[in-house]
Amino acid sequence: MTDNRFDAVVIGAGHNGLTAAATLAQQGKSVCVLERADRIGGMSRSADLGGATLPEMAHLLYNLNPGVAKSLGLKIASRALPTVALCPAQQHVVIQGKTAQYANGDAHPDAAAYAALYQRLKTFAALLGQLAEGAPPALAGGMLNAKTLQEMMALGKLGLGLKRLGKVEMREFLRVILSNAYDLILDELSDGPLAGALAADAVRGAYAGPRSPGTVFSLMYRLGNGGDVTLPIGGMGAVAAAFADAATKQGVQIRTDVDIASLVIANDRVQGVLLSDGTTIHADAVLSSAGAMQTMQIAGIAHFDVEATRRMRHLRNKGTTAKVNLVLRNLPAFTGLTREQTAGRLLVAPSAVAVERAFNPAKYGGISKSPLIEAVIPTLTDTTLAPDGTHILSAIVSYVPHGLEGGWTDAARADLLDRVVQTLEAYAPGIGELITHSQVLSPADIETMTGAPGGHWHHAEMGIDQILTVRPANLMARYAFGVGGLYLCGASAHPGGDVMGAAGRNAAMQVIKDGVLR
Amino acid sequence: MAKHDTYDAIVAGAGHNGLTTACYLAKAGLKTLVVEKNDWIGGAAVSRSLIDGWTYSNCSYVCSLLRREIVRDLELPRFGLQVIPYEGGATFTPEGDYFAYMSDHDALRRELARHSPRDADAYDRFSQAVIRQCRFIRPFLLRNAPDPTSLRPRDLSELLFLVKQAHGLGAKELGETLRFWTMSIGDFLDSYFESDLVKAHIAGAGIIGTGLGVYSPGTAYVLLHHYMGDVDGAIGAWGFARGGMGAISNALGAAFEEAGGEIIKGAGVDQFLVRNGKVTGVALENGDEYHAPIVASNMDVKRTFLQHTDRAALPSAFTKAVERFKIRGSSAKLNIALDRLPSFPAAPKGATFLRGDMHCSTTLNELERAYDDWKDGRWSQDPYFDMLIPSQIDPTMAPPGKHMMTVFVQYAPYDLEVDGVRSGENWNDATRKAMADCVLDKIAVACPDIRERVVHAEVRTPWDIEREVGLTEGNIFQGELTFDQLLFNRPVPGYAQYDTPIRGMYIVGSSAHPGGGVMAAPGANAAREILRNIGKGKSMPDFAA
Repeated sequence: MTDNRFDAVVIGAGHNGLTAAATLAQQGKSVCVLERADRIGGMSRSADLGGATLPEMAHLLYNLNPGVAKSLGLKIASRALPTVALCPAQQHVVIQGKTAQYANGDAHPDAAAYAALYQRLKTFAALLGQLAEGAPPALAGGMLNAKTLQEMMALGKLGLGLKRLGKVEMREFLRVILSNAYDLILDELSDGPLAGALAADAVRGAYAGPRSPGTVFSLMYRLGNGGDVTLPIGGMGAVAAAFADAATKQGVQIRTDVDIASLVIANDRVQGVLLSDGTTIHADAVLSSAGAMQTMQIAGIAHFDVEATRRMRHLRNKGTTAKVNLVLRNLPAFTGLTREQTAGRLLVAPSAVAVERAFNPAKYGGISKSPLIEAVIPTLTDTTLAPDGTHILSAIVSYVPHGLEGGWTDAARADLLDRVVQTLEAYAPGIGELITHSQVLSPADIETMTGAPGGHWHHAEMGIDQILTVRPANLMARYAFGVGGLYLCGASAHPGGDVMGAAGRNAAMQVIKDGVLR
Repeated sequence: MAKHDTYDAIVAGAGHNGLTTACYLAKAGLKTLVVEKNDWIGGAAVSRSLIDGWTYSNCSYVCSLLRREIVRDLELPRFGLQVIPYEGGATFTPEGDYFAYMSDHDALRRELARHSPRDADAYDRFSQAVIRQCRFIRPFLLRNAPDPTSLRPRDLSELLFLVKQAHGLGAKELGETLRFWTMSIGDFLDSYFESDLVKAHIAGAGIIGTGLGVYSPGTAYVLLHHYMGDVDGAIGAWGFARGGMGAISNALGAAFEEAGGEIIKGAGVDQFLVRNGKVTGVALENGDEYHAPIVASNMDVKRTFLQHTDRAALPSAFTKAVERFKIRGSSAKLNIALDRLPSFPAAPKGATFLRGDMHCSTTLNELERAYDDWKDGRWSQDPYFDMLIPSQIDPTMAPPGKHMMTVFVQYAPYDLEVDGVRSGENWNDATRKAMADCVLDKIAVACPDIRERVVHAEVRTPWDIEREVGLTEGNIFQGELTFDQLLFNRPVPGYAQYDTPIRGMYIVGSSAHPGGGVMAAPGANAAREILRNIGKGKSMPDFAA
């Protein structure tokens, strides 16, 4: 136990850190994971509130990388949920994969157009999804030698896949790939809750309105692993526990409540980690799932060149999502929804125009009076999460700025809670009366609790200028991070955020490939 | 009695691109006719006199993008074209200060340092990055955009050229280029500068004419449309065409007529005539019909196909693609006759930057809010404008001692919202005046006496520009400059090389690659394409070489 020498140290016990650790351990390496908080899980963890187990931050799974799940042998029980796009006029739309119909069973006039659009996006997304399976493709030097040629293979495969779609679809792909979700959606559908649901999915977690170019990509990113939304049984904590189990089974040590003072660096190479209590943990490689700038700060900015520092300072990572968790003494009655439908993913995004409008105030440090909400009542699916009869409502609120004007005071949190409850009241009258406990986490709170830069759930905005070969920044995209033996393995590295695990797995494989470990 | 006649080629619309195409066709020996709906030529590159003694460049107002290869090749100076460069520009603040841009590097550095010493250092890095992007893109302007789905030798060779150019950049620059093309101008500037004023001064160039905000990805690229031009080889420089922007069209028109071409004014196209999938000519609104196996439309792609072509002649997939092509009106224009030069109390007397582009927007957020207004169908309550007084440099624009001011306003919607209804019909004298008042109030930040100086003012909304010039929604680029509408996507994927589903019919305006601005590149590229298709490709110089 006092042995403080490992092949590799991983900073942060979120799902990416744990995936990186487990992947290295599978390769026979000794690995230690250091977590600052008293619990593992990062953004995918459970919390107790009023006797209920609620998903503190992330609440649904939709982008877990199947390759990661398989190679780690993850055992996560989860149940697929339909999406219910709530309508102010009570004409709610239930969306399940490519089908869309009104909640009362009536056919939706845009159902066929929606199905075609969804199918097309899913096909495109699957092609792009291949790029998540390895380090980002190299763009230059393809003709120079065998090694770079191999690195361009991913792009080559994408090109081939595109060709196979046929001319018409390939052209459509090249037209929409850098485009904005608003136009893409409204070219096919009339504006309303169905269009709003797609638009909101395109921007959730992003500092962008659906009219911003690049939001078609973020919509496709969401669909990269099929796009089905599932609720983990046992809460988000069970997801983190599954990752941790996979790691410990491979012999990984996980230590929580560990405060890192700095990295030990000699001759431009990582030697280990120095803890605040004075302990040194020796390692040949350090993989950090913290944000890119934080990682740079832990290592010491003096170890990076001016350009790298400048790039990190200008990373775009303004978090825009808040979390509101409610414990309810009774099941709220959503007008026009069956119990089964109420158990779905409930979206408040009445139209694509409304989504764009909700973004406007966030740009200037304000919050929309009609916030966008993705809510789920997990207790309808998993009754073990709360005492009999009580329910949990977990809500992700979009376009809540990290840099709120006036700062994140208790009054500001109370105001946000009020806006969310007022918004929900329109669909579930009386819901406010049912609240016994509430928790409001602003982007600033999420940053404090998890270290995620800006409280951004992707650690760095998933704009086209910050993905693939330029994620997190140009020349820093292949996980290796400035100092020899230091690697990024979190959401700020390719392919990015969501409970996916690909960044952790890819980083670990890069460490092995680079031969950093003896 | 309606007239009938037959030509080798007909060009619909006498904008600068249509005239450029026409010049090249006529010089290649084709009997060419240009038909124009207005009683004057020029489209949006036009000079008009609405009040005695004053000349307005009442649409486009400055010149830089016009490809010098074309100016030289068509010998436009011989036909009266003279572009006079102007220097500098400024943004004025309500506090009585300003940021002045000056082409003298040392003076600019001192001015930047006055606002932020750090920005003075950053500026060199910034301008290097922008110049590198300009160098990268310039060779593509006078080439076809390759069709990435095609295996034709020509497309492959164009693709190879693109790959080679990109490869030549090296991994680092390629990454930077990728970012630059997909970034917002706001984020791009934030990564260099700290002074709001400096950023706001530069940012305008990323949004002029577009339906995007300064923080919309893709606007850094639009900046290039304002930096990649030149005046007499001075890259990035801007100038005034002597006698107004109409001087460009008039020179092109004269060159065309000297080459034997014929222009009919005051008679617009009613219908493009199509038989068995082939174009046969045009029917004019006045009933005349002219026939030719080649017809080139200088109108934007929406107007060409949705208003003046029989839909039955077009594949439905093509029509759908044209329908979803985005042409969004976002700019208005004030042309003002002044009784004398207004005062600029903040500026040193005789400052050269007063002869350049002047603005009163001082932060990026102010610009972004102006965009938010536009999205909801209002003109910007705190508008961005690009204001110049060309008569200081070109005395032909106004009577002695008097001046002419051109004010380009961003943003103004085409379909103005009034009482919950969005429609172009909502633009009337009252709403026009209200918008102009809003702009004049802000101009008063720079020149408090502006209202006393106004002798006459022409207010042009997107609705007005559409009705007079024919540009859909009054959009200055004939289509948004977003990636889904650039290169091989412009105007329609699969028809990005000036051709259309109708044999013999071509799109030669800014709806086609490389897009808008008074550039003449689409017109020249289209002419090359037309001539190549009839086996006369060699009669035109290969600018790409």
